[in-house]
Amino acid sequence: MKKKALFAGLASSVLLLGACGSEEAEPAASATEDGKTEVVFWHAMSGDLETALNNQVDAFNESQEEYEVKPVFQGTYEEALTKFNAVAGSTDAPAIMQTFEVGTKYMIDTNKITPVQEFIDKEDFDTNVWEENILSYYQVDGKQYSMPFNSSTPVLIYNKDAFEKAGLDPEKAPRTYDKLKQAAKALTTDGQTGFTMLNYGWFFEQLVAAQGGLYVDNDNGRSGAPTKAVFDGEEGQNAFNLIKEMYDEKTFMNVGQNWDDMRAAFQSGKVAMYLDSSAGIRTVADNADFEVGASYLPVPNEAEREGVIIGGASLWMGDGIADETKQGAWEFMKYAASKEAQAKWHVETGYFAINPEAYDEPIVKEMWAEYPQLKVTVDQLSETKASPATQGALISTFPQSRQSVVNAMESLYQGVSVEDALKRAADETTSTLGQ
Amino acid sequence: MTVALPRQRIRTRLSDAASGLLYLSPSIALFGIFLVYPLFRTIYLSFFQTDTQGTPLSYVGGEHYAKLFMSASFWQSIQATVGFVLLTVPLTIIIALGLALLANEKLRGIGFFRTAFSATMGMSVAASSVIWMFMYNPSIGIFNRFLEVVGASGVQWLLDPQYALLSVSLATVWMNIGFTFLILLGGLQNIDRTLYESADVAGTGYWTQLRAITIPMLSPTLFFVGIISLINAFQTFGQIDLLTKGGPTNSTNVIVYAIYKDAFINYNVGGASAQAVLLFLAVLALTWLQFKLVERKVHYQ
Repeated sequence: MKKKALFAGLASSVLLLGACGSEEAEPAASATEDGKTEVVFWHAMSGDLETALNNQVDAFNESQEEYEVKPVFQGTYEEALTKFNAVAGSTDAPAIMQTFEVGTKYMIDTNKITPVQEFIDKEDFDTNVWEENILSYYQVDGKQYSMPFNSSTPVLIYNKDAFEKAGLDPEKAPRTYDKLKQAAKALTTDGQTGFTMLNYGWFFEQLVAAQGGLYVDNDNGRSGAPTKAVFDGEEGQNAFNLIKEMYDEKTFMNVGQNWDDMRAAFQSGKVAMYLDSSAGIRTVADNADFEVGASYLPVPNEAEREGVIIGGASLWMGDGIADETKQGAWEFMKYAASKEAQAKWHVETGYFAINPEAYDEPIVKEMWAEYPQLKVTVDQLSETKASPATQGALISTFPQSRQSVVNAMESLYQGVSVEDALKRAADETTSTLGQ
Repeated sequence: MTVALPRQRIRTRLSDAASGLLYLSPSIALFGIFLVYPLFRTIYLSFFQTDTQGTPLSYVGGEHYAKLFMSASFWQSIQATVGFVLLTVPLTIIIALGLALLANEKLRGIGFFRTAFSATMGMSVAASSVIWMFMYNPSIGIFNRFLEVVGASGVQWLLDPQYALLSVSLATVWMNIGFTFLILLGGLQNIDRTLYESADVAGTGYWTQLRAITIPMLSPTLFFVGIISLINAFQTFGQIDLLTKGGPTNSTNVIVYAIYKDAFINYNVGGASAQAVLLFLAVLALTWLQFKLVERKVHYQ
């Protein structure tokens, strides 16, 4: 009798295992208790940004009856992408996936996503209201693949009190490499270092693009498949020379790879200027016990300033999910891109509005009066010239390439020459392009 | 000549075996699904080029292995792994043994110290790493504050390739002491008290007793702790991921972390599988060597 029960138990567990493996023919939309269609949204926003994102989702859920968006935090952009990769194309995949800008090519190559262009065409949705630079980044072969959501640019953030103490004009931040070096020298005292930037590929990409330099050949991979990394050219060397010279003069502090360490160094007064994402401005300004200024990304020569690449992330629609769920995802994307939602998003985070009309909203005007730093990021982007350099590189192995660049930056502090460090990183990147 | 078994007995044996298997089946199933199958799958994948989701595309033979042996970063991660093992395993065992000897004394309130010394066992790697990360922080960390007080200049604990591996190792030693301490204390308490009593009668001192009684009697436990610590050290991941992410300049890129990066960031599943197979073989060989060389010196009662 007992044996029979055991057999039954085993047999049913085998059946269960079998059921897990079998594929469902027609993906069904899952519904919440009150009958709304559930739309799962994977994101990478933590801290204050997550609160702001949840506010957006709540507002959307309350604005209509049909869909319920469920936000799920999945770690950093890199971690979230890894998790997405594991479930892409299955019924466990999220309906909306937030992916960082350099994951664009990778997402397209998975073939496990639905281009939002399908919905744009279907509804004759007007994308002309969007910021042109943002559109140009996420458009590939004339097709809109994902919905821009949180866009940021790099900015120079500085301690105004420290500027005054060092005899510098706190309203005039250094905008060229030479001025940056001079300011850093004046700001470096016992216990305070002039300047720092994170050992993170994004900042290097921005410094190169700001000079009009390309990351890979074939117009940054936009006119054809890239075959070779070219960031070790003159522009990349300028950026690396800046770091190396300042590090050797002890006016540059190595803060590692962790964003929080970098911000802690600034907030504790250990470093007076640093590069951050515009999305960090509000938190930094709120938490510092001194006046915080923000300015443009420095370039070697002001006259040849090209601008900045769009950073941040966009929203992708999954594939292999029910049509109803897709529609829900699209409705949320439209909502999040509306000028009202973007105005709120901009003032709560520092990401700028993908829809410039949002800047006319009263809440933005009020907030700009309180945080003039936010406006700097908007101006910097609108002054950006659209070109392959500022459009950003389109390669699918970006995460790997960024590791190579980080290694190159770190090896600078160990005395490796600028040329050798860059060449190695570029060679490593080139070798991944063919795969 | 074998004696033919009566039919009845064969039947009972077969049905015994069947019911035995039946009882074992849940654990066989778990073991098979979560250990045996992944192991063979890893070996299989190490000979294939895969897509980003790990689906094998084409057979490439030993190409992944050949590439690894020629890659500088692979040798660097071997170097980091060996360094990490050498820095953590002996130190952990020595400190834990010292603490266990102290905590084995019969003193009033010793229970408090036993709890305190084993407390790190209750701490997750993630929580401990975050604590150490703050202590190592060059701007606000306690270590550099202390150095400033005594007038020395601060050290970039996790950012200087010279110190990074050492710093991660120190944190790891602290994390592992609790477990090692507890096992060793258990071993010490199993030693027959009468041995010490006879030694006391014979008038031998503490150090002689330690060398002649405690260490030999503790050797099976030490052997066990040695093997477990070594295998654990080879498989360390959490603190590396949280403290350094393998940097700076790959100085703490131990092989498990390299496997993770290759498989889940670079989506090079074949290459990562090949590294995993090599790691498996290395740990297997080392454990075998330990059994061959050290076990002879182990005294079982």
